[in-house]
Amino acid sequence: MTEVQLFITCLVDSFFPQTGEAIVDILHRLGLSVDFPAGQTCCGQPAFNAGLRAEARPLAEQTIRVFEKTSGDIVMPSGSCAHMMKHNYPELFADDPAWLPRAKALGERVFEFTEYLVDRLGVTDLGARWDGVLTYHPSCHLSRGMNIDRQPRALLANIRGATIVDLPNAEECCGFGGVMSMEHPELSAEWLKRKISNLEETKSPILVVAEAGCLMHIAGGLHRQGKSQRVVHIAEILNHV
Amino acid sequence: MSTTSFRSRIRESIANETLQKALDANAERRLKGRAAAFESIPDWSERRQRAHEIRTDVIERLNDYLAQFIGNLEKNGVIVHRAQDAAEAIQMILDISQEVKREKGKGDILIAKSKSMVSEEIALNHILEKHDIKVVETDLGEYIVQLRHERPSHIITPAVHLTRAQVAKLFQEKLGTPYMEDIPVLTATARKVLREVFLTADIGFSGVNFGVAETGALCIITNEGNGRMVTTIPPVHIALMGMERLVPNLDDLTLMLSLLPRSATGQKLTVYTQLLHKPLANQTRHLIILDNGRTRLRNSPLRESLYCIRCGACLNACPVFRELSGHAYIGADNSIAPYPGPIGSVISPGLLGENYVQLAQASSLCGACKEVCPVDIDLPKLLTRVRAGQATKEGKKKNGAGLSPLSKFFMRIYSRVARNPRLFAVSQRLAAAGTHLVSPFSNMFRIPAFTGWGYSKDFPRFASRPFRSRWKNDDSGNGKSVNWDIQQVESQAINLPTDQSTVSPTDSFTAELTALGGHVTQTKNVTGSIIEFLKSRGIDRIHLEPNTLDESILQKAGITSTNIPDTGILSGATPHFPVQSSETCGVTKAICGLADTGSILIVDGEGSPLHASLLPEIHLAVLKKSDILPSLPDAMDLIRDKSAAVFITGASRTADIEMTLTIGVHGPGEVHVFLVDDSMGQ
Repeated sequence: MTEVQLFITCLVDSFFPQTGEAIVDILHRLGLSVDFPAGQTCCGQPAFNAGLRAEARPLAEQTIRVFEKTSGDIVMPSGSCAHMMKHNYPELFADDPAWLPRAKALGERVFEFTEYLVDRLGVTDLGARWDGVLTYHPSCHLSRGMNIDRQPRALLANIRGATIVDLPNAEECCGFGGVMSMEHPELSAEWLKRKISNLEETKSPILVVAEAGCLMHIAGGLHRQGKSQRVVHIAEILNHV
Repeated sequence: MSTTSFRSRIRESIANETLQKALDANAERRLKGRAAAFESIPDWSERRQRAHEIRTDVIERLNDYLAQFIGNLEKNGVIVHRAQDAAEAIQMILDISQEVKREKGKGDILIAKSKSMVSEEIALNHILEKHDIKVVETDLGEYIVQLRHERPSHIITPAVHLTRAQVAKLFQEKLGTPYMEDIPVLTATARKVLREVFLTADIGFSGVNFGVAETGALCIITNEGNGRMVTTIPPVHIALMGMERLVPNLDDLTLMLSLLPRSATGQKLTVYTQLLHKPLANQTRHLIILDNGRTRLRNSPLRESLYCIRCGACLNACPVFRELSGHAYIGADNSIAPYPGPIGSVISPGLLGENYVQLAQASSLCGACKEVCPVDIDLPKLLTRVRAGQATKEGKKKNGAGLSPLSKFFMRIYSRVARNPRLFAVSQRLAAAGTHLVSPFSNMFRIPAFTGWGYSKDFPRFASRPFRSRWKNDDSGNGKSVNWDIQQVESQAINLPTDQSTVSPTDSFTAELTALGGHVTQTKNVTGSIIEFLKSRGIDRIHLEPNTLDESILQKAGITSTNIPDTGILSGATPHFPVQSSETCGVTKAICGLADTGSILIVDGEGSPLHASLLPEIHLAVLKKSDILPSLPDAMDLIRDKSAAVFITGASRTADIEMTLTIGVHGPGEVHVFLVDDSMGQ
């Protein structure tokens, strides 16, 4: 049985454990054995993106150490964490001949969840069912950073009963950007407003995302504005029958 | 979180509804225009990679290319100066001005200036004015912001932040013209005032879009025609360029020119694409090549930012710029950064130091900038490098450059906790308990605005049981059973637009030029057709390039012609008050036409065709059908040994006021091409 390593990401772990359970369910159904290596916490992305490389480094080292003890593909429900491990670890360790090869070796094993399903396993139909309208927000690090866009869309397209409507100006950033949303809340708020009004235009009660950061941000904005729309991670929708 | 002046400026911009509307319009129009323009080159992504390679090579071997470039310039008779920093560059310009003044004998010096971002970088105007040198910006947008004593708010559209009403009021106050909100009228007013400036300036000043190492050419592109005016009319031309703006050869230039205008303004080619090799007759040409931090940038982790060709696409695509405009990109000392937007947030600190480091924190790293960059600069990566303190030498040890102390504090605590898995797990439990205590009934709760998060959104409770404690080491397959219907991914073939149907070069040329508002007349008797046109417009005097028309027939028809620039022709009526009989008209040959862009090539020579195609209100060009070439690269051999050449693509135009397209700014408002059928047997 193929074993796949799950990197849960700090946000899904702490705030959306049900997303992690959905992923485990789906991978099990696909006949894979899932392992959740102990000792994992955060990949270091928030610190790295804020420019705090000295703070990001020990977290990156820890993540590399934890997954080096395992073998096989590493799957995670986040394009930005995958981007961090694949593209930013080599940047972080560029001047370190001891760590750089270890970072690169890790990066080669990294897959974002929908990428893993579609490109690695060749699966686009998970037999899921959702009666109703759905719309999808392509998160920036996923779609632009990792060039993963057709994969989540292909998976959504095969959900029985679901009507997928296009989100207007979908490619616009929702305004999260990690520390930036705290550093520059005024900017973040403007983009959030725009994202929410685009969502309202679709009349979809559910916004599907594949990134917990955007999820928290948009859901927090909807709640503040007293709106009823829900933001759901794609894994939970795909696990729905 | 303490509110810095940068944040106050951000708030002001967001609260300014007029500005927000203008910025939305800019972003939408430019992005749409860009996307449409790229449809005509299906291989754009390969071109972009090639452009990236060319720029990588240029920056890698910059000193070699500079030596070759300077050698060729000097051979061509251009006087080359190299400035280490802003002060040196300014001193060189002052020295040249003093010399011009001495030769002139009396009166002050007037400089007619075309758009140059490098001159903004060295804050040139301000210092020249202190030395009693009058500098007039001649790009419409730059002229407007100069009258307002402002800095440009966008590198391509300097007055993007202003409405027509604001411009109308400005012109009324500063120029004494009646208050008129009509954009063509405002443009015509500027044309009239600035025409006087072009004709009387002692020195013309411009930037440089590309220097071509192989031939020593300066490539300068403008839509309005002011770039041509300042390089053609005053007796002295000073060009200022950043030392990195080189391409190895003319072929590489054509590649860059297929990307730059498309990215900047959504045009296939800019209206006037000039290639200057030698000074014109009775003209002195100086080139100042500026370092000003570029050598340091080249040796820094921000080197890739030197690949930039200043198209402004990253500004248009950037959600931050879309809220701010260039005026809100300020340094710690409140001064406005010379370069705004994503590229500005890298090179402003990179060139000018620590003061502008804070700009790089205003980004979600969404990558929209990288996606539209015509030379594929990895801007998000460079922004994280600025944040990591790599922009400046003194910043080397500064981790989290430009980050507020509160964010730094939060991030440091979080990183400490996450470094220890056991502490991380305990903290999750504590946070869960704490947030459930604060918000016992709702999964979301309000936190104060000062945290940043609470400014516009609520915060979720931590899960009472995080994933790590739900995980059981159980691989037995606890999933719900569903019917499997696994299918292979359909490979999504990308449909490239079907290329090159069977449109003839003539038809393509005609369609392209007509789409730009130009006119094409096919004729077998060109003199007759032109006489007919002139009569219909009541024109009896033209500036004519020799050996273009049958002059005896012209004379018989009562049309007089001259081939030296003539004041009557130079300063005729403005298009705003067209008096039929005094419309001015220049007639030139076109060396070739370009089928894919509707462009015509005019080269320097006897009878001043460069003046004749620029100064009058109407330009008539005579082009042989057989001289229509497929595309710009096919025309490069025709200009290789020419002292100066210009590709003209449509009529002079601007979109500097409210992004509204307006025709006939400085150059001709009408372009008519008379296409001569020279095919055998016809």
